[in-house]
Amino acid sequence: MNGSAEHEAMLDLVAVAALGSLPTADLRIVTLHLATCAECRAEYDALRPAASAVGLIAEEPVDTLRSARMKKRLLAAIAPTANARRAASAPGGLIWASSIVAAAAVVFALVSTVQDIHLRSDLANAQRTTSQLQTRVAETQRTNENERDMLADLFAANAKRYTVADGEVVARGSHVYFALHTLPALPKGKVYQAWTLAKGAKTVAPSVTFTPNASGSAIVQLPADATALAAVALTVEPEGGSKTPTSKPSFIQPLS
Amino acid sequence: MGREARVVMEDGARLMERVRAGDGGAFERLYDSYHRLVFGIALRMLGDATMAEDLTQSVFLKVWSSPDAFRYGNFGAWIARVARNRSLDVLRSRSLRDESEIPVDLAEPGALDDVVFTRLDSERVRRALAALPDEQRSPIEMGFFGGITHDEIAKRTGIPLGTIKTRIRTGLRKLRVELDGAVSR
Repeated sequence: MNGSAEHEAMLDLVAVAALGSLPTADLRIVTLHLATCAECRAEYDALRPAASAVGLIAEEPVDTLRSARMKKRLLAAIAPTANARRAASAPGGLIWASSIVAAAAVVFALVSTVQDIHLRSDLANAQRTTSQLQTRVAETQRTNENERDMLADLFAANAKRYTVADGEVVARGSHVYFALHTLPALPKGKVYQAWTLAKGAKTVAPSVTFTPNASGSAIVQLPADATALAAVALTVEPEGGSKTPTSKPSFIQPLS
Repeated sequence: MGREARVVMEDGARLMERVRAGDGGAFERLYDSYHRLVFGIALRMLGDATMAEDLTQSVFLKVWSSPDAFRYGNFGAWIARVARNRSLDVLRSRSLRDESEIPVDLAEPGALDDVVFTRLDSERVRRALAALPDEQRSPIEMGFFGGITHDEIAKRTGIPLGTIKTRIRTGLRKLRVELDGAVSR
C-alpha cells in the first residue's frame, strides 16, 4: 500500500482517527491498518497529541453561583468515601471519630427520609424518568468502554497476530479476536461460525456466529479465554450455528 | 473567553498523585483548576448548561473513584478527552443526535498524547490554532467539539469528504509543529 494514493487516503483517515471523529466502522478499519503499518502508526502517534491539545481551548468561565453549587455537590458526593479513605489510613481513634460521623450521617439521612416521605410520592415519576435515563447512560458507557477495550487490544503492540486466509487472528492476554477483511459473501441462510479447541481437547467447541459487512469485514471477539485455547477455526454454517462443523474450515489457526 | 478562563491551572499530574492517596484537599484544588475546562467542553458539545454541570460532576466523580485511570503526562489534555468521550456517550444515550453522526474515540491508556505536551497550556494552543487557516481550523474544531463524524462535517459544510479529511490532516500536522515549537521555547 505504501506510496500509493490509497495509502495517502489511509493517512488522511488516520488523522481523523487521531482527532476522534471517525464512525465505528471506519475506526475499526484504521485500527486494523495501524496494527500492521509502521508509517501510519507513526503518523497517528505524531498527530494524536496535537489533536488532544485542542481540548484545552474549551476552558470557559463558570459563573460564581454555578461554580459554588457544582463544587458543593461534588464534595458532598465524595465525602463518604473520603472519610473511608482517611479512616483506612488513620490510627484507631480517628476510625472511631469517622464512624461516629458516618453514623450521624446515617441517622440524619433516615430522619430526612421520614420527613420527605410526602414529597417523595410527588417526585416518584421524575425519579423514575431520571433513573431510566441514568440506566441508559450507564449501559451506553459500558458498551463504549467494551468497544474501546477491544480496539485497544487490536491496536496493542504486544498483541499476538496470526495471519489467516481472510485477515488476522489477534490474541492479547485472555482475549482473542477474528479481525477479517476479505471474507467471501455468504450464501442465503448461512453464517460464519467460529470454533475453539481447548488445550488437551480432542474436539472443537462451537463459538459465536456472525455475518461480515458489505465489504467482507468483521471484527469478532470470541467468548473464550485465549490462554486456555490450542487453536481456533472458522467455517460456514446454517443460520443459528451448528454443534459440530458441517463445512470445510476457511482456516484452522493454532495459538502458540 | 473571559479573563477567568485564563486562570493558571495547577499541575494536575502532581495533584493526582495526592488524590490517589485519598487527599480530599488535593481533589478540591484539582476541581478548582480544571472544572472550567470540563464544563466548557461539555457545554460546547451538549449545548445545555444543566447537562454540562451534570457531566462535570460525573467526570470529577470518576477521577476521584478511579484515580489510577490517569497515569502520567498532561492532565489537562487527558481530562479534556475524558470529558469529550463522556459527552459523546451522553449524546448517544439520550438520542440527542442520529447515532451515525456520532464518532467513536480510541482511548489508549498511557498513550503518547498524555506525555508529549506536558508543559502545554491553553493559551499556547489557542495561539497555535489561531495561526491555522480557517479552512483547516474549522473542521478540526468541529471534529473535536461538535461531536460529529467527518462525514457529517462534510455534509454540514458542503465540502467534499476527501477535502475535509485532507484539511484535518494538514491542520493537525501544522498544529503539531507549532506546539512542538511552543513547548521547546
